[in-house]
Amino acid sequence: MSDFPVTTDSGEAPRTLSDVELAGDLTAAPDVAEADVPPELLAQSLGEYIRAWWQRVRSGNSGVLPVVMAIVVVAISFEITNSKFLSPQNLVNLFEQSTVYMVLAMAEIFVLLLAEVDLSVGLVMVLGSVVVAELVQPSGANWPWWAAIIAGLAVCSAWGAIQGTLVARLRMPSFIVTLGGLLILEGVGIIVLGGTLVGIGNSRFTNEVVLYDIFWGQIGPVISWILLVVLVAAAGTGMWLQDVRRRRNGLETAPRSLTAMKIVLMAVAGTAIVAICNVNRAHSGTIEGVPYIIVIVLVVLVAWTVLLQRTRFGRYVYAIGGNPEAARRAGVSLPGIRTWGFVLAGLTSGIAGVLFASWQVSLTTNIIKSANSYVLLAIAAAVIGGTSLFGGRGKTIHGVLGGLVIGGIYNGLYLLGVSSEWIDVVVAAVLLAAAGVDVLSRRGAPRQT
Amino acid sequence: MTVDPAQTPTATPDGTAGTGVATAEAAAASVPPEYAAQSLGQYVRASWTGVRSGNSGVLPVILAMVLVAVVFEIITPEHAFLRPSNLVYIFGLSTVYMVLAVAETVVLLLGEIDLSVGAVAMIGGVVAFKLVQHPGPGWPWWAAVLAALVVCGVIGALQGTVTARLKIPSFVVTLGGFLLFSGILIVILGGADGTVSVSNTDPNQRVIYDMVQGLIVPVAGWVGLAVVVAVAGTLLWLRAAARRRSGLAAPPVSLTIIRIALVALVGVAVVLICSINRGSALVAIEGIPWVIPIVLVVLGVWTLVLQRTKFGRYLYAIGGNPEAARRAGVSLAAMRTWAFALSSATAGLGGILLGSFFFGEYSTNTADPGQLVLYAVAAAVIGGVSLFGGRGKAIHGVLGGLLIGGIAYGVSLLNLGELAAPLSYIVPGSVLLGAVMVDVLSRRGAGSVTRV
Repeated sequence: MSDFPVTTDSGEAPRTLSDVELAGDLTAAPDVAEADVPPELLAQSLGEYIRAWWQRVRSGNSGVLPVVMAIVVVAISFEITNSKFLSPQNLVNLFEQSTVYMVLAMAEIFVLLLAEVDLSVGLVMVLGSVVVAELVQPSGANWPWWAAIIAGLAVCSAWGAIQGTLVARLRMPSFIVTLGGLLILEGVGIIVLGGTLVGIGNSRFTNEVVLYDIFWGQIGPVISWILLVVLVAAAGTGMWLQDVRRRRNGLETAPRSLTAMKIVLMAVAGTAIVAICNVNRAHSGTIEGVPYIIVIVLVVLVAWTVLLQRTRFGRYVYAIGGNPEAARRAGVSLPGIRTWGFVLAGLTSGIAGVLFASWQVSLTTNIIKSANSYVLLAIAAAVIGGTSLFGGRGKTIHGVLGGLVIGGIYNGLYLLGVSSEWIDVVVAAVLLAAAGVDVLSRRGAPRQT
Repeated sequence: MTVDPAQTPTATPDGTAGTGVATAEAAAASVPPEYAAQSLGQYVRASWTGVRSGNSGVLPVILAMVLVAVVFEIITPEHAFLRPSNLVYIFGLSTVYMVLAVAETVVLLLGEIDLSVGAVAMIGGVVAFKLVQHPGPGWPWWAAVLAALVVCGVIGALQGTVTARLKIPSFVVTLGGFLLFSGILIVILGGADGTVSVSNTDPNQRVIYDMVQGLIVPVAGWVGLAVVVAVAGTLLWLRAAARRRSGLAAPPVSLTIIRIALVALVGVAVVLICSINRGSALVAIEGIPWVIPIVLVVLGVWTLVLQRTKFGRYLYAIGGNPEAARRAGVSLAAMRTWAFALSSATAGLGGILLGSFFFGEYSTNTADPGQLVLYAVAAAVIGGVSLFGGRGKAIHGVLGGLLIGGIAYGVSLLNLGELAAPLSYIVPGSVLLGAVMVDVLSRRGAGSVTRV
């Protein structure tokens, strides 16, 4: 990359920014090196952390900053045009509507990180939802709900494996494989659905009730608070202990103030969510508490974040996305990792399918027609969230935040009474803008596109 | 390495001549066999070398068409597939796929893709239909068609500019474009249940209505065929003669004669089939649909543009190796933008034909723009256009579109009941995957570089 002897030996004292600034003309290259190391590991104090983080933003690694700004802009502009937008009722509603986009975007991110694309996630989701709903029908298979979910996820993963194998082993372009796959699934979906309406809304059957509650059920307010305390305490202790361990072992560690701030931020965000969710949002009667799906999305988010950030598999995914040839020469099995990427995308789409079945309650062939717009929204959510289309850059959290933006736009425009075709136009414009930002930020970063 | 036309075809087909063979075969394959061959026998052998090295041209799609025709003739009830009425109907059904596939081919040649082609086509159709409305704008049909093509061309130029200048991947730009223009389509149609139609009683609107529905009477059809064959034959003959006179490599005389005979034969078959009365004894339906000459014109124009102009050569150059083309002085951004613009204008014509095929009626239910794209891409790839750029011709789009239309109609003839709807998705999807697999594997056989 450069002629500079940039050592990243962990035993060496961490380079500080003042070193870089002293280097005069040569700042450009060390900038890159600094940008590749997470700022929390470089910085010794909070001030340094902020400066290092700003430098990363400037060099094109803006992370979640643009999407958080987008969320703020969406929230403010819709709140101005319609004061209902930020009401607790609507916020919970908005979040619920966004969950399917979020989970689908997380599915798409596995593939985007590999510099591939999966156009079939929407139909895989529909397939998963149809399989789950069909299997619990009392007049049909009458499987228990958990077995139906496992079967649905297995079917979706298997489909991902087939597409992944075609892409990874034969090197067929992924967008064509998944385009063909999407067509085939459209037909398969019609066959599995059998032309009739399949519902899970019958409260006489426990299996259907459990599936229904995945989307529509909620944890009671008191339990919500207890759960929040437990979660924040556990996550906070975990973060703190990890820091202590790193410091004891002489590794680069984030400054204490930063960790404390992160824990406080987590607690504040959690409290806000629980407080909003605990407001009674029913027109008549009582609906209050944290919806189950918030917990489900959090679990998926944490699981996939750990998988991508903390395991060898995750590192290989980023390596292939960044430079497949380099990864191959480093001994990474490209076909294996690529196939697994598609399997995980299929599996995550299946999870979205379970949510989707629960959300829709009754499934008709109309959902097959609408499935394709979900693909676009999933890609848009991932890209808006900050995932690169060119591979190697992105995190699972980007899908969640991007999904929230998409859900917010849909919800806000719907509240304004805008018709669905204009909403599509707005979403397309947002997608193009996000892709443009992605391309320009890549150009700004001193890396090859 | 000099490519002496007299010697190249002798490159050993058995591959025993050591390391040089691969390059020699590749060189032989990249020269059209008709120029490399001195006699018909050599031509056949040179073609075969081309096929073996992955340059199979239209051979697979023609074989597939024969296979599809035979299979459907056997399995359809009452062996109805090859009835003249069905064949003419298949052609009408396929025209949209053919024209859209030709449009998609232009973009695929660059190594790009246009996923908005279906939505853009339908916008073109609706614009033309709206402009001839009376009362309403009441434009003459030719002005309306022209305006529609211009609108689509501008849309294509916009998407091409974004792709070419900002370097956003074309599939994302056109995916966004697909969403955008599908929305705009509904808006200009006047809402989700809006319709616009042309009638066959208004003389101005009737021209658009007749593009697919109208027929040329058999006598005029025969006269037209004679003219077309005479002109095409003379041109082929004169060009070969001119090349020979100038001392350039020219196809053998026998090959030119066979080609002219083939054109005449196919033409006679088409006119013959179309001239059979497809109606009843009382109400005769006979003659060639107008759409056949229209598709021939689209095919002819794009073949000329791609094979005989500088623009066409640049498209192949960019598709084959963009960096090499750039260093040779080709303006990548300008060529890409033009290709997208012309491709979208062609798609606009397809959209007008789509409305005409549905008896001059346009609504949001006329076609699903998403499915149109899939069929267009599938038709181009099945026809033999490479997804990796630089390989393909307009004729591939036309043949691929005919194959897709034939399959779609054949499936619908089978009386499958509930399975008919799903199979109308599954069969083209499988055919698309199969065609891409062949494309990928044949590229591998050709020894050229696919992506890592």
